[in-house]
Amino acid sequence: MEVIRGRQRVTLGCAVLDQVLEGGFPCGAITELVGESTAAKTQLALQLLVTVQLPGSLGGSNGSAIYIHTEGYFPGRRLRQLASAFQSSRGLGFDPCDNVFVEAVGTIQELIALFDRLEQLFEMQREMPVRLLVIDSIAALFRSEFENNRAEMVVRAATLFQVSAKLKRLAHRYDVAVVVTNQVMDCMDGSSGIQIGNLAELVSSRRRVAPALGLAWGHCINIRIFLSRSQEFLEATAKRPKLDHQDVAEVSKSTKRELHVLFAPHLPYRSCEFVVNQSGIHGVLDDDRENA
Amino acid sequence: MDDGGSIARLGLPPYLRSKLLACGYSSIADLHGASPLDLARDASISSDEALSVLRRIGATPAPIAGAKTAWDLMSFDRSRSRIGTGCSGLDRVFGGGVASKELTEICGAPGIGKTQLGMQLAINVQLPRSLGGLNGHAVYIDTEGSFMMERVLQMAQRSALVTPDQSVESLLSHIFYFRVFDSTEQIATINSLNKFLEEHKEVKLLVIDSVTFHFRQDFHDLALRARLLNSMAQKLMALAHHHELAVVLVNQVTTKGNGEIRPALGESWSHACTNRVILRWEGGKRQACMFKSPSLPPAKSSFSITTRGIGE
Repeated sequence: MEVIRGRQRVTLGCAVLDQVLEGGFPCGAITELVGESTAAKTQLALQLLVTVQLPGSLGGSNGSAIYIHTEGYFPGRRLRQLASAFQSSRGLGFDPCDNVFVEAVGTIQELIALFDRLEQLFEMQREMPVRLLVIDSIAALFRSEFENNRAEMVVRAATLFQVSAKLKRLAHRYDVAVVVTNQVMDCMDGSSGIQIGNLAELVSSRRRVAPALGLAWGHCINIRIFLSRSQEFLEATAKRPKLDHQDVAEVSKSTKRELHVLFAPHLPYRSCEFVVNQSGIHGVLDDDRENA
Repeated sequence: MDDGGSIARLGLPPYLRSKLLACGYSSIADLHGASPLDLARDASISSDEALSVLRRIGATPAPIAGAKTAWDLMSFDRSRSRIGTGCSGLDRVFGGGVASKELTEICGAPGIGKTQLGMQLAINVQLPRSLGGLNGHAVYIDTEGSFMMERVLQMAQRSALVTPDQSVESLLSHIFYFRVFDSTEQIATINSLNKFLEEHKEVKLLVIDSVTFHFRQDFHDLALRARLLNSMAQKLMALAHHHELAVVLVNQVTTKGNGEIRPALGESWSHACTNRVILRWEGGKRQACMFKSPSLPPAKSSFSITTRGIGE
């Protein structure tokens, strides 16, 4: 029997986004960030690698982080940029890049083998214990290894549960927040299939999409966060001083990005607009919308 | 009210009379104080038939909600052993609440509210009978890591408001929490429950959330899996009867070929639970549908999940 205790959260480094999540992503659980390829999933994951290291006095977990990438590419430059931005804005006395452990895996077997090595890392880290484990992305590993027939899908599901069980055991034992990124698929025939989570439809870039890896993977995670994007066409009027001060309509394009809580055991449905710039991801308070 | 003699005096159709006799109702006095639902379940008759029997002895059974007289309340209290969910529609689907001494399965897609309902019941079982509880404690076996203290605390606030002698802390302390990480631990924990329940006689509810998770990996031999699950179900049934527990088993769902959902764990598991309820989204609202029960007709109701917990 265990004592019921509250879970530490890993802050997103932004008060607006933290409020949507009531503190951040919980330790001892798997949070999935799902969205299309330019939705800023990796951006948010990289930001977490830094914010987890913040001291408690700044809302952080004073922890180190592990970043497992599966698509052969580690966005090192962007991490350094974010680390530098947080280092100066928060007055950190160390370079956050020093406390991020990066691993590359190309197959599911490599990932499972890595879990055992990671346990040693969890055990060793004492001063800044590992508080965050990111897998970016889980989809890439699974989509290439299984063919699209019923028998393979059954094996794929069993493997997903196996990976999830191992991750949850590590997450609970070492009090680590596991954050996993996932891709989306376009919905066939305009139908979204059965509703999973608070939104009947997931729309990004004007397409109806659904998280990859199916219903089975949905049962493997504790929290699902959907990152959407859409192009907004804004009409604005601008004065042209050089001419006859006539108002001219200008059309500009901007990307609207939103974070949605699709399901979480402790959160109601919430959504929040956010922006991505040099210093990271920031939630936007919208006066017209209720954010509670 | 007709008070004496055997039920043969009631002029019931022979099939009804023999069903009542078969489950121990041989005199009219036996029928006093029986609720229509308990009678229906015990005798394997429909609730309409049970109601008609009770009306013949002059008892006017009160509806579950809105019982008016002291006699109504007393007989309702004595005969009922069900845990309210906090939503009257949901309670109706469960036949008045989640039943003691039975296995009730709750299945549904991720995020539909299975864990929410499990947590809510773990609080509600602690309420007094007049508020839909059993004055009991709860055991919660968490296999997925979805049980979050912060959310249980939030739900407990609502209950603590109506029961001043049960603080939020007290409500939390009477949920005995087990976290298991594989199928072996799950089976071992269930095997250890008999002893635990002997030592904790106030426990009236067992939730396993989910019974499924650890059985969807590593089981290439489905026959073995079916045997383990059946054996587990039998043990749970024995615990339910011996310790007078309501047992709630959360299950996942899989998709059929045509895209519809069905409970996970296959055909053999479908016989394990007394009652099976499926939760799903319909028209933007959460719906619960009872699709297997020995005595209740298939019933459906919408429900909602609010900051205070399960609601209408």
